[in-house]
Amino acid sequence: MIGHDIFVPAPLLVVSIGIMVMLAATAWRRSVGRGFLCATGMLLLAITVVGHHTGKVPDGGDSLFVQDRWTACTAILIMFSTLCIMLMSWRDAGVTREDEYPLLLMLGTLGALAMVFSANYMPFFLGLEILGVSIMGLVTFGHRAVPGHEAAMKYLILSGVSSAILLFGIGLAYGVTGSLRFMPPIAAGAVPAALPVAATIMILAGMFFKLSAVPFHMWLPDVMEGAPVPVAAFVAVVSKIAIFSALVRYFGTQNQPPFLDDILCGVIILTIMGGNLMALRQAGFIRLMAYSSIAHMGYLLIAFVCPGRLQSGVVSVYLAAYTVNTLGVFAAMDAFAIPGGPDGRVVAQWKGAFSSRPFLASVMSLMLLSLAGIPPGIGFFAKFGIAAAGVEHQRDLLLCFLIIGSIIGLYYYLNIVRTMMAAPALPSVKLNRQMRPELTVLVIVLSMIVVIGGLFPARAIHPFLPPPVAPSGTGDGATH
Amino acid sequence: MNPLPVLVLLPIMGGGLAWGAGRMWPRASPSMRDASWWVVLATLVVETLVLAMATFSHRAHAGPWPGHFAMPWIPAMGIAVRLDMDGLSLSLIWLSLILCFLCVLLATRQATAHAGAFRFLFLATLTGVIGTFLATDLFVFFFFWELMLVPMAGLIAAWGHEDRQRAAMKFFMFTQGSGLVMLLSILGLVITHYRQTGVLTFDYFTLAHTSLSPTGAMLLMLGFFIAFAVKLPVVPVHVWLPDAHTQAPTAASVLLAGILLKTGGYGMIRFNVMLFPDAAARFAPIAMGLGVAGILYGAWLSSAQDDVKRLIAYSSISHMGFVLLGIFAGSRMGMLGAVMQMLAHGLGTAALFLIAGAIQDRLHTRDMHRIGGLWAAMPRLSSAGLFFAMAALGMPGLGNFTGEFLVLLATWRISPLLATLAATGLVLAAIYALRMVNRIFLAAPQADTRPVTDLPSWQMAVFACVMAFLVLLGLYPQPFMIFSAPLPLPATAMAGPGGTTP
Repeated sequence: MIGHDIFVPAPLLVVSIGIMVMLAATAWRRSVGRGFLCATGMLLLAITVVGHHTGKVPDGGDSLFVQDRWTACTAILIMFSTLCIMLMSWRDAGVTREDEYPLLLMLGTLGALAMVFSANYMPFFLGLEILGVSIMGLVTFGHRAVPGHEAAMKYLILSGVSSAILLFGIGLAYGVTGSLRFMPPIAAGAVPAALPVAATIMILAGMFFKLSAVPFHMWLPDVMEGAPVPVAAFVAVVSKIAIFSALVRYFGTQNQPPFLDDILCGVIILTIMGGNLMALRQAGFIRLMAYSSIAHMGYLLIAFVCPGRLQSGVVSVYLAAYTVNTLGVFAAMDAFAIPGGPDGRVVAQWKGAFSSRPFLASVMSLMLLSLAGIPPGIGFFAKFGIAAAGVEHQRDLLLCFLIIGSIIGLYYYLNIVRTMMAAPALPSVKLNRQMRPELTVLVIVLSMIVVIGGLFPARAIHPFLPPPVAPSGTGDGATH
Repeated sequence: MNPLPVLVLLPIMGGGLAWGAGRMWPRASPSMRDASWWVVLATLVVETLVLAMATFSHRAHAGPWPGHFAMPWIPAMGIAVRLDMDGLSLSLIWLSLILCFLCVLLATRQATAHAGAFRFLFLATLTGVIGTFLATDLFVFFFFWELMLVPMAGLIAAWGHEDRQRAAMKFFMFTQGSGLVMLLSILGLVITHYRQTGVLTFDYFTLAHTSLSPTGAMLLMLGFFIAFAVKLPVVPVHVWLPDAHTQAPTAASVLLAGILLKTGGYGMIRFNVMLFPDAAARFAPIAMGLGVAGILYGAWLSSAQDDVKRLIAYSSISHMGFVLLGIFAGSRMGMLGAVMQMLAHGLGTAALFLIAGAIQDRLHTRDMHRIGGLWAAMPRLSSAGLFFAMAALGMPGLGNFTGEFLVLLATWRISPLLATLAATGLVLAAIYALRMVNRIFLAAPQADTRPVTDLPSWQMAVFACVMAFLVLLGLYPQPFMIFSAPLPLPATAMAGPGGTTP
């Protein structure tokens, strides 16, 4: 195959070139600001070319990559999140002069994009590992050296185990089908029927680990707590979107086979209840957000197991709502931090925030209420959509747990708002507040997206999901 | 210009202006009216004018009821902003506005800190309530239903009394949790309709013609009932109410008791009884039993309270029991009685909360052990208190009596036993009302009473208007009964403007 014939989605190329340019620039003269500028520019360029690709779409579906509305939707979400996270960490990284930081963020984004665009096990696994390795590097950044290293180590080991399981599953699938195409293996010929099932379950387990669904969730709170705030946001948002996107691509949007369906339902119930119940007793804000993000992945999976007319719009709206709200929470947390003062990573530090920092407290309340599914935030419509998809598919049990989980979730979100409303413990000391205009802008933009998206969600509902794959499995290539 | 969307949006926009005005021109001295107060008053006056226009003008439109407004919102899911107005919603909106005027005129003392934010939340609650009363798209209804919680909980949590945050939390959790059950019911109804006709719509009038199996109808009706029962409140799920009412600032107590409870009653009439008439009829014995239990339990607990606001809160539970009884009595008379009871209770209880708030402002306590013999010191306030206590116990000639009498009459036809038990509640009502009057106004004055100022005469004049209205409701209820009766559903389904076919 000749180079210019290879089908590669343009964002992957742009981001890769951006990384190389950044590496070259680093070799010439180290500068954090230039690294951030270059990364931001390349991301903006990649967003504009998200629908384009090089080469021509190969016939027969034996390509490495795929490009359709679903990839466009999730790729834009991923790159938008990375942009927001860049803005969040601009000042901190500038102070500590860590010019590897934007590079690692870009590498992580490249990995996430590769997972989103992959139509083959190879780019998927490569993307997964690139993302994992760069997250491990990112987690150790910042001044709090010890917990960062511990969290990175924990992530490295657990992520390695899960990658091994995933790889074993991929190997089995290859053994069954003789192809590396990114879809569940179907038994053919003299292969024992248990083999494809085992392969599917192993791959699913690996994906659940990255998605931090409940029996595989233990790493997420520790890693997020050990990481700097923007990196925690990266772990909570970018890697989740990428793996969920790949999950949908892999299993398709049709009805799942019964054994898979039972496993998914069990995992969803465990995830919703586990995430919410463990979030209840958290004093650390980041740990609480980690558990709440676990619960939100559970809600999102409900939409995944309810194929039907509503599913497509619902999933994209929920993913967008989760992204914007989580980014908003972390951006507000980042803006709350004062050098030498409280860093906002413990809920108790937010006590009396409504009187000391009213703007941040209002934004934080809006984001938390939206996460809890209260209007006028976009989270309200997102949760409504999930419930609608569940009712359409008559998933009564899952709906019960959706309600129970939402009520528990409401309690811990409201608890934070209540803490912010309480009278401040100490007379507010005048700390030298750093002006961070880029964070203020980011927070305002995210709040506007949340409110406008909540009031006029009609624009966001498009059938973004790939169409259900026919059982014969003929190419769901570029339907762009 | 269609008045209905203006009615919904005007309060929250006025609230935003009031907030801005409060920030730009903070109040110079505590006794002066500030700019934001005038903005609120102007908003309410304009709102009243718009409402009067909606009441008296008749426009040609496509809706089945006197007022109609439709605009697509989320066409992909068949959701449109549909607002319709019949006599029931109209009279409840009038009630809301009257109570808001009372709050603005009489209950301004407590919100001294961040008055602008307080007024914004206050008017935002009003937007949620009016939206709830007008929406005939189930999604829009649910949206407003949830929307009115947030500012209300904010009012309680930020400006309430000692234990305010726990109370706000409880209020929020109960209402939101039950709201989610209602959401499932709404979706169940919509999806059933979609399966039958292939039209995905949330339109109330279209969905009313969905044919349901008896079990399905019962399940869906119960989902709605749970949400409304929490708001009304019905006895086993009333737990949030005493705390929320007691801890809320006066204006929020008035809104809570006067209007927010009525959204529960409104929902039961509009959705339980009118959407699922058969299931509601089958469920009626249980609902009426719960209603009687509420009447007796609320009145019993009310007579054991020492806290004035708590006493009034429990009396609300008792009065709302009559509303539940009337709604499910299955006759037009019972329904009218329930509506009359809602109107009269809204006015009377709001006035009682205002008086309790005025007492608390002056004496800094709500404990009846420490309040006593106010008659000598504050004759005007005491006489107003006496009047509204009489209204609460169901004195003939006042509004509550009309409602209770009609409800009892309607209940007697179905079950004399229930009617007798409910009538016992009136005896208990006399006990708690007279006990309150005796201890606060008539008992020997407390030794440590400080000199207090009575109500100024213009505030007395405002109370006098409410009294006159209650007397009117009691002596000549006929026009109000005709005016505020819920209109029946049209016989044929309208073509839904936002309905989509696959």
